[in-house]
Amino acid sequence: MSKPLLEIRDLNVSFGTKDKPLCVVNDVSFSINPGEAIGVVGESGSGKSMTALSILQLVPTPPARVTGQVYFDGKDLLQLSNSELTSIRGKEIGFIFQEPMSSLNPVMTIGDQIDEAIMLHTDLSADARRVKVLELLRLVGMPDPETRIDVYPDQFSGGMRQRVVIAIAMACNPKLLIADEPTTALDVTIQAQVLDMMLDIRKQYNSAIMLITHDLGVVAEFCERVIVMYAGHILEDADINSLFASPKHPYTQGLLKSVLTLTEKQHRLYQIQGSVPPPGTIKEGCPFRPRCPVRMDRCAVEMPPMKSYGPTHVAACWATAEGVE
Amino acid sequence: MTRYILFRLLDAIPTVFLVLTLVFIAMRILPGDPALTALGPLADQAQLAIFRERMGLNDPLWLQYLKFLWDAVHLDFGTSLINDVPVRDLIIRNLPHTAYLTIVSVLMGLTVGIPLGVLAATNRNKPADHIVRLYSLIGYAIPDFYLAAVLLVVFSLKLGWFPINGAGHGFWDGLYHIILPAMTLALLKSAFLGRLTRTSLLEVLGRDFVRTARAKGASETRVVYKHGLRNALLPLSTGIGISILATLSGAVAIELIFNRPGIGRLLIDAIHERDYPVIQAGVMMFAFFVVIVNFIMDLVYVLVDPRIRMKS
Amino acid sequence: MNEVAEPGNAGSQTDNIFEREALADEPTIADAIRAVIFDRLSTKIAAVLVVVFIITAVFAPTLAPYDPLSQSILNINKHPSWEHWLGTDQFGRDVMSRMIYGSRNSLIFGLLSPIFAAILGVTLGVTAGYFGGIVDRLISRVVDMLMAFPELLLAILIAAALGGSFWNIVVVLTIAFTPGFARVARASTLAVKQEPYVEAAIAAGVSTPVIIIRHIIPNILAPIVVLMTLWAASSIRVEATLSFLGIGTQPPNPSWGNIIRDGLANMFATQWPILAGGLTITVVVLAISILGDSVRDALDPETNQ
Repeated sequence: MSKPLLEIRDLNVSFGTKDKPLCVVNDVSFSINPGEAIGVVGESGSGKSMTALSILQLVPTPPARVTGQVYFDGKDLLQLSNSELTSIRGKEIGFIFQEPMSSLNPVMTIGDQIDEAIMLHTDLSADARRVKVLELLRLVGMPDPETRIDVYPDQFSGGMRQRVVIAIAMACNPKLLIADEPTTALDVTIQAQVLDMMLDIRKQYNSAIMLITHDLGVVAEFCERVIVMYAGHILEDADINSLFASPKHPYTQGLLKSVLTLTEKQHRLYQIQGSVPPPGTIKEGCPFRPRCPVRMDRCAVEMPPMKSYGPTHVAACWATAEGVE
Repeated sequence: MTRYILFRLLDAIPTVFLVLTLVFIAMRILPGDPALTALGPLADQAQLAIFRERMGLNDPLWLQYLKFLWDAVHLDFGTSLINDVPVRDLIIRNLPHTAYLTIVSVLMGLTVGIPLGVLAATNRNKPADHIVRLYSLIGYAIPDFYLAAVLLVVFSLKLGWFPINGAGHGFWDGLYHIILPAMTLALLKSAFLGRLTRTSLLEVLGRDFVRTARAKGASETRVVYKHGLRNALLPLSTGIGISILATLSGAVAIELIFNRPGIGRLLIDAIHERDYPVIQAGVMMFAFFVVIVNFIMDLVYVLVDPRIRMKS
Repeated sequence: MNEVAEPGNAGSQTDNIFEREALADEPTIADAIRAVIFDRLSTKIAAVLVVVFIITAVFAPTLAPYDPLSQSILNINKHPSWEHWLGTDQFGRDVMSRMIYGSRNSLIFGLLSPIFAAILGVTLGVTAGYFGGIVDRLISRVVDMLMAFPELLLAILIAAALGGSFWNIVVVLTIAFTPGFARVARASTLAVKQEPYVEAAIAAGVSTPVIIIRHIIPNILAPIVVLMTLWAASSIRVEATLSFLGIGTQPPNPSWGNIIRDGLANMFATQWPILAGGLTITVVVLAISILGDSVRDALDPETNQ
């Protein structure tokens, strides 16, 4: 197997004071290979966005504290100085945000905002950059790019703005693209268009993608591997076929059961009882315990370790582990 | 854009009209007998009668009002009761000094205040931030005339670095004379603008597009100045308008302390000398300043915010 | 689209509703003031200073060592000594005693004008906000225009037109501060008018004055109280400035502003009156504004940075 492009080890993100930390990401470890598309799924508050933001040190510290290692191309991103980081952000790693309505600077034309990403990382002349910007606008499916290039963001719909954000992220052909719920804020029809466009771009550029979403359908369409997060912990990490065929963690099983399928006759959509605990309420043991249908006494004391269920499938659950043994 | 300016100009006309009406009410109706207010309780009947005749106070109010408006539109403010000079000449002689003092003070205040605010916002809750916040709190509390008096005592009286009074002659001498008075006003304005810059910048730096800029690989300096400050200029331009007007009202005391010519001192001297036409003209001039500064700030706002520019 | 059911989202929504209800249940003004005084060190110091200021003003005749008006040819321009802690001025008057009596002057204006301005401004603002229409447009236009003037400039211009007697200064300060109250009262009234309990009261046929007094006024009180504390600081400063310019409190009555005015005319002989007057104004205005800021933070957590 080739060397991973991105390798995260024991990532922890916490807020609050030293004595009373509120951990939002707990001992998260995973890796992404070059060109691979992984999906990170979980409910709101599962720590998936925080994980993504801390890769590029985009979480404001303080108030947050980030520890662990994030190796990208052999360098630990968490150890880099600000100026070293700026040569990776936007160039090696592109980032797409969730909120297209507020992710663009209202007083800069969209052309200038895309151009900025190119200008910061290349020596191209202004004219050459403009050609590149137009090319990117075409790539993200912007109609009539020659006139749109000089327009301010507030003249665009959410879908169009998200295309601009994607153009910014793709400006320097990054090795890794992190997309934090890129379609959540969009209308359903626009969601499909933007996703199709992203699939196209992926084929053309062959970037690795880390797609954060709560939508398992999107993951099935887009990704080769899935990481399931819950309350700041990774509960399961598996290739897409294995995960959908035989989910090992009760939480993943619940998620899959609650997905609407058209083939089976369903009377009522399955629902996982309860809600995600607020950070800091569960100090030890498995965070899913209060909502888990198969919880055991052990779960309250000790966080289950990752256990392997095949070459590309790991999960963290005492019950599953004992059932299999 | 042009249409917007025209619209704003049209909109300013009723404001000017309203301002003039309020000045008329304040000068002629509110005091009861303006002649008595103008000349004071010691004036005798004959003096009052002459004054009323001269100022046209015997006409019915509506006629007074129309004449007042007519004269104001023609910038005809009558003649001074003290030295028989047309008030218009007095205004023309004093206006440049007030304008000069205001502009220099505001420019100095901006060059100090905005970097202070940036410093505080980018070092939030660190010593630099606390010092800037303390500075702006004290700058808010300290009266301008007191600061002027202290600077005058220390730098002119004790140290002898600056002249004690006057406006000087010629450019360099004028500059030499304006440093201390302008510095007084600028210190206070920089406190206000520093606080305002800090608040607006902090608000902007917390917004999503700043994160986008960081994710693009923009350096922190670029994020703060190109993205942050550029957006913070929107609320700031309103604040700059306020501080120009505050400087203008502060100039009244400053002109008095440093014994400089200017509209403020003209007005205050006129009040003490009971020079009614000059008081009326001074009040009107200040009211006009307010309307004009607000109008200009509206235009600046349009220049700064592309959203308004594009819509018009 | 296959959506993962998001019970977490539903949960956070209910959380929001709870939060909103908690916010609607705003702290009472007494709570806020209590919280403010025991909260931060700077506020505690400020509160102590304000209390000292008020006590000084109230007990001025007992505290002042001399008659603030009595002149003495033999004692002019004295530097500070045990007899005259802050020295004497060009008329031989004791500066300390003038400062103590001057605090009375400042306290009276600092209390009176915000109260009058609040009454006038709230009346205008509630009228505009509650009735809307042409009344609202007229009031708003005048208020907007007056708001364009810095309150000091407005005060100078009105004082120029009216002249400076005690009641004229009260009128001047009241007019200068009224627009601020009117604008806040109008905005709050518009917000409160949308609340279900007010709509219910209107629908139930409760008479307009009763609705305004029972429902509107109590609910817009918090921002008005905040504004009053902040304006108390402002009016002390503005009155001092007017007196300094010679269009406020008239000599020989002592005001912190005209103590500095006299001091400046006499600055070659002694600088103590300038120093004492200015420092006192600065400290008192600073203390009241810190107190005002804290009251605002306590009553309105959203502006709290």
